[in-house]
Amino acid sequence: MNNVKIKSKNLNVYYGEKQALFDVNLDLNEKEVTALIGPSGCGKSTFIRCINRMNDVIDICKVSGNIEIDGVEINDKNLDVVSLRERVGMVFQKPNPFPKSIYDNISYGPKIHGKGETKSELDEIVENSLKKAALWEEVKDRLDEPGTGLSGGQQQRLCIARAISVNPEVILMDEPCSALDPIATAKIEELIDELKKTYTIVIVTHSMAQAVRVSQKTGFFHLGKLIEVGKTEKIFKNPDNKMTQDYITGRFG
Amino acid sequence: MTKEQRLKKRHNAEKRFRFYGLASIFFALLFVLILVHNIFSKGSSAFMKTAINVEVFYDKDLLELEPGASEEEILEADFFDITIESLLKVYPAKNMDEEDALIELFTTDAEIEIKKAFLNNKNLIGKKINLEITASDDIDQLHKGNYPRDLPEDRRRISNFQLEIYDVLVENKTITKNFNNYFFKNGDSRDPEIAGIGGALVGSFYSILICLLLAFPVAVLASIYLEEFAPKNKITDFIEININNLAAVPSIVYGLLALQILLATIQLPRSTPLVAGITLALMTLPRIIIPCRASLKAVPPSIREGALAVGASKFQSVFHHVVPLALPGTLSGTIIGLAQALGETAPLILIGMVAFVVDIPSTPIDPSSSLPVQVYLWSESAERGFVEKTSATIMMLLSFLIVMNFLAVYLRQKFEKRWN
Repeated sequence: MNNVKIKSKNLNVYYGEKQALFDVNLDLNEKEVTALIGPSGCGKSTFIRCINRMNDVIDICKVSGNIEIDGVEINDKNLDVVSLRERVGMVFQKPNPFPKSIYDNISYGPKIHGKGETKSELDEIVENSLKKAALWEEVKDRLDEPGTGLSGGQQQRLCIARAISVNPEVILMDEPCSALDPIATAKIEELIDELKKTYTIVIVTHSMAQAVRVSQKTGFFHLGKLIEVGKTEKIFKNPDNKMTQDYITGRFG
Repeated sequence: MTKEQRLKKRHNAEKRFRFYGLASIFFALLFVLILVHNIFSKGSSAFMKTAINVEVFYDKDLLELEPGASEEEILEADFFDITIESLLKVYPAKNMDEEDALIELFTTDAEIEIKKAFLNNKNLIGKKINLEITASDDIDQLHKGNYPRDLPEDRRRISNFQLEIYDVLVENKTITKNFNNYFFKNGDSRDPEIAGIGGALVGSFYSILICLLLAFPVAVLASIYLEEFAPKNKITDFIEININNLAAVPSIVYGLLALQILLATIQLPRSTPLVAGITLALMTLPRIIIPCRASLKAVPPSIREGALAVGASKFQSVFHHVVPLALPGTLSGTIIGLAQALGETAPLILIGMVAFVVDIPSTPIDPSSSLPVQVYLWSESAERGFVEKTSATIMMLLSFLIVMNFLAVYLRQKFEKRWN
């Protein structure tokens, strides 16, 4: 068992009057893939958006409770979200490359964080990030072409490369394959398997098969509550909770 | 109703709708054509002017100038006598009245034209030269065929004697039509043949420039703040509603505001492009903010999230990603706002730009006219020559507007990035 990297304690999230998360207590282990499953609107995405404070963008969203990364509280007004997001990268449901060149897409993050002062350092970061995202071979000859011109699967790997470029500790993935075809999905899953050697990964997914394939730990959310969490094998073979059982066998969702 | 009947009804409804649409487009085009035809048929002749070939003798005794006279001496010299001498040689006049009638065929600026020709070539002293002297407005209109010569003499401004001279000139081919450079070069004048839109062009240019310099940065910064940074609450809602209201305020109200504040209170100089520019900027501001905010809003939130997720600050995500993507829309909105400002008349009349200004302004604080106000001024004038000048000015104004709108569309299409 790896060390705990991220720890949430009594996490509550409200969108205006509506409560989206109820007392979520969840530990995420270092260098492991944790999958979050559950029906639409159950709060999985809301939960991972708390980890890099993306919910700050939404005016009406209020977060109470604690989230610790390496024992340090991040749900703190005085915390600098810029350096938090440097440590916690994110990949979104729909690929969202910047409408710029492939090179600029990757080099943007390092540039604003002052990593890669010289052109050659930046070149190296771009190359390494693209290699880690298994995209280098496909794009190495056309780095100056727009990132939006790539296929959907390539765009998503470009976004993963962009997240990797600032050398984060944690990568959050919000249904990264929901807009992709099965072949592109398989590539991303392979990539996740590779990335977990270096990064702590949290993935939200609607595909239970995907959760089984890529994750070591799975959490099941329902109506804003964390119903059950445990080793992926156990959750899918022998869940403790009746609701989990019903969901994974497809009786509701 | 059977299925066939329903189907037929549906098809008929579609056909009817298509017919209504085509009819509307037809009518719209028809009206545009009528407008354009009317303006062109009236205005195109203003780009030509009528001139009469006159032999000018630069008599050194009449001029009281020696060969090699300095520029200042020439400027001070009296060209009146040689002008009269030269003009009278065109046709034999028997008495004083006929001489006056003959001289009336020429522009009142004939003396200045003869002087200018001399300034361009100072060796002309004691020599003869043929010059094209601009004809008077009446002869100009007569030559262009706009003057009804079959009216009885007492209802015409041109006498029978003058018509006689004109016919002889036409026969001798000494009367010609040339490109009317005065129309572009000169300021306003009481005499249509030498009146031009030079002053109005420069005045409009300064006004729009000042309007751009004031309105563009303020509008862009206000839009960015409101769209990206301002908290969404009652105050920002209130501001938003009022920006929309301001965009709909009649322009004459801005004129009154400028009259009270800029002219009466701050005492800025009246009739100047400076005041016009500030007034137009006030009016254009909301008209730029609205499209500018719309183009910021059109940038998908995923771009902002993508930037934030790699650790960009709010400021960086806005200025590195959102603003560059919104720029084409912002620029085209600005150009369309400026095009509206260019055609604005009412507020400029209130701040005194309607004054009769002959000089071409050299700075934005000189009294000046502007293109739309020039149209208004000339459309009120009685002389026939101003009818074609009014239409020609409208043509100039419309061509600027068309160029600006085309530029706006071009910028938007050329630089707008597509994203999925």
